[in-house]
Amino acid sequence: MALDISKFILRFVDEAREHLQQLSEGIAILENGQADAEQINVLFRAAHTLKGSSRMLKLTAITETAHALEDLLSALRDGQLPLESFSRFSLLYQGLDTLTSLVEQLAEHRDPAQLPDKDADLCEALTLAAQGQELPTAPPQEAATASRLPEISEQPQQTSSPDASLKASESVRIKLSSLDELIKLMGEVVSSHSQMRALVGDSRQLLRQASDADAAFTGQLDLFNRRLREGVQVQESLMQELHDKAMQLRMLPLATIFDSAGRLVREMARSLGKEVECRVLGSEIELDRQMIDQLADPVIHLLRNALDHGLETVEERLKAGKPAQGKVSLSAWQDGSWVVIEVCDDGRGISLEAVSEKALRKELMTSEQLEALNEQEIIDLIFLPGFSTSQMITEMSGRGVGMDVVKSSVVDQLQGTLNVRSRPGEGSCFTLKLPLSLALMRVLLVEVAGQPLGFTAQYVSELVKVEASRLLEVADRKAIILRNEFVPVVYLSDLIDLPVGSRSRQSSQLLLLVTQVRNEKLALVVDELLDERDLVIKQLPEHLRRQPLISGMVTRGHNELVSLLHVPQLLERSRRSRRETSRLADAEQAAKHLLVVDDSLNTREIEKDVLEAYGYRVTLAENGQEGLEKARQENFDAVLTDVEMPIMDGFTLTARLRQEEAYKNCPIIIITSREKESDRRRGIEVGADAYIVKGSFDQGSLVETLKVLLD
Amino acid sequence: MQILVVDDDPLAGEMIAAVLEEEGHQPVLASSAIEGMEKLNEEEAIGLVISDMNMPLVNGIDFFRELREQGNQLPFILLTGDDPQKASEQEAGLDACIMKDFSLDESLPGVLNQVLGNSSRSS
Repeated sequence: MALDISKFILRFVDEAREHLQQLSEGIAILENGQADAEQINVLFRAAHTLKGSSRMLKLTAITETAHALEDLLSALRDGQLPLESFSRFSLLYQGLDTLTSLVEQLAEHRDPAQLPDKDADLCEALTLAAQGQELPTAPPQEAATASRLPEISEQPQQTSSPDASLKASESVRIKLSSLDELIKLMGEVVSSHSQMRALVGDSRQLLRQASDADAAFTGQLDLFNRRLREGVQVQESLMQELHDKAMQLRMLPLATIFDSAGRLVREMARSLGKEVECRVLGSEIELDRQMIDQLADPVIHLLRNALDHGLETVEERLKAGKPAQGKVSLSAWQDGSWVVIEVCDDGRGISLEAVSEKALRKELMTSEQLEALNEQEIIDLIFLPGFSTSQMITEMSGRGVGMDVVKSSVVDQLQGTLNVRSRPGEGSCFTLKLPLSLALMRVLLVEVAGQPLGFTAQYVSELVKVEASRLLEVADRKAIILRNEFVPVVYLSDLIDLPVGSRSRQSSQLLLLVTQVRNEKLALVVDELLDERDLVIKQLPEHLRRQPLISGMVTRGHNELVSLLHVPQLLERSRRSRRETSRLADAEQAAKHLLVVDDSLNTREIEKDVLEAYGYRVTLAENGQEGLEKARQENFDAVLTDVEMPIMDGFTLTARLRQEEAYKNCPIIIITSREKESDRRRGIEVGADAYIVKGSFDQGSLVETLKVLLD
Repeated sequence: MQILVVDDDPLAGEMIAAVLEEEGHQPVLASSAIEGMEKLNEEEAIGLVISDMNMPLVNGIDFFRELREQGNQLPFILLTGDDPQKASEQEAGLDACIMKDFSLDESLPGVLNQVLGNSSRSS
């Protein structure tokens, strides 16, 4: 052959990827029933161009497949197949996926001769579909899948190497390492700028000291001082902008991961014999490249999990009265300086029984520990290391990694959070919340015992100043009531064993940094808030990486290094110290079993601690409905309930309990932040024996009240 | 000879151009019939037109008819990704109509010489 086609192969791959991208987006629009004739024509053109250029390069399998797809699309475009009644989307997707797989194989080998033959069944199915017919013998999907599967399992490359194809005219390719160097340099400049800010402070200090010098001199110094400050401020905003722009260079759209996700889901669904519609939203959202790289595996794992464990088989779905086709959605949106990514399915949800049973069997929990957990806490057990709900290791989800790996990569490597919501029979939703970039984060700098310490903002829910007298003593620990919720309070200096600062203990005002990890809060007493700004986070040196309490370093003015505390670790520490102190009860009351109902995790935990410290056995419930169910299963000696709760409030719970034979005379105590007399009256009307207002909460009076009522 | 190549797929256009260059011609590329028309007005030295059939807005045959209507009598070779027979039947005035495929590096020079031979004989 006279013409050297090899140099055209790579061009073809690049362009083919663009056409396939168009097809993928277009078919999704078509599936949603939003496509007009012009959009179908765009699809047709993409298939047609693929056919044309592949034929010139003798890529026969691609040509034939594109041709068959083109036939079906042209029948749709020309109205030979009515669009309204068209439903063979899986066939379109299969054509698309086959083409994508062929193009990726070509990208790898760059040799047309190594391409496999066309999938004859698929081509025939497409051509027949264009004439409004189906393949006579086997259903086309299955026939085609069977012949395609081996080829896919030999070529798993399509999931692991998302490649952003750059449009040549608008972009320049730069080596990632040079870009990283630039960003690093930028970070150094931002850090060194904070020294300039410190100099401004120094200069003001000098001015103050020089105030008794002659007026002309101080006037000049004052002027210099002001100019310096203005200069530094202007420079700061310019630098911020420069830094933002430089950071943007590293940003990639989530499409790099999301685009392959739809295909991955369909392929997995086919091999699992499940039917699924996959919706992908927000692939235009951009994230730091470094994060995109690390995000691919967790996202793919969550999708696998949704398909393998979440979605039921077709028969199961039909039996449960659900549509045969399941839904899996992968969506992303920006929330302030965060990006939220959700993987949701409408499958069976996470089974509390299965999770509990598994946790027991794997000895991750004792049955007493399990009993104390609420539904959400049980669901969260799936994140424990060594947990995996799958009965057997399937090819899909069980590759030796579980949710704990997903979680640790999200929390530790990506500085994000991972939550799950699930409703039995309705599905599950995993939510990842990630910072836009790892390199620059919002940081609060505080001082404790003369030591500056940093907190990354994702864990800080609020900062409050309170009178020291508002702290409550409960179960040998301190707590504060913040909006109807007990929040445990600890001195940060105690928690991390810093020499005790004298200042904070004496002052009547306390500064509380309220930290939050998921629904658990912990208020830390700090001495002072030093600063809050976006700072460049430096990784710990290798020999310090195993130190769990510190997640990174930032520099302040005068090149001072400040440690960032890892909040989940702080909460863990605080919990551990709680367990040690709260086991000193006398066994006298052990026979009495109490039910505590409150929607706040912290409040439940604290009430539990108080009561257990006095020797009661305690069972917890999250809302009135759950409380009622638990009360019916077991006979409690007394019930303590909050008023405002979702699903069923405390008044209703009290009234309902009074209708039950077993609870006619059982003591019921309402504990609430509602102070109004009318509420108190209503509490008594529905049948409560006592009404305790949280604001005046005093563990002694609660325990006294209980004692009186239980005697 | 300068030859106008019209194809909306830039990759195909460049491959056709490569074949023509191999034969010692100078291809002038256009990505649509409209751009092709502009190129024809700019470059008087163009002596032949090769156009793709299936393009958005104006397809190859409409482009050919428009040229003839404007009095342009340059030899016109139509390339198509579909059946060339059908296109020839649709428009008998075409000088040649060939399939756009991997043997283009052999088929195109042959057809080119044939068409150029015909037109030099008839003029």
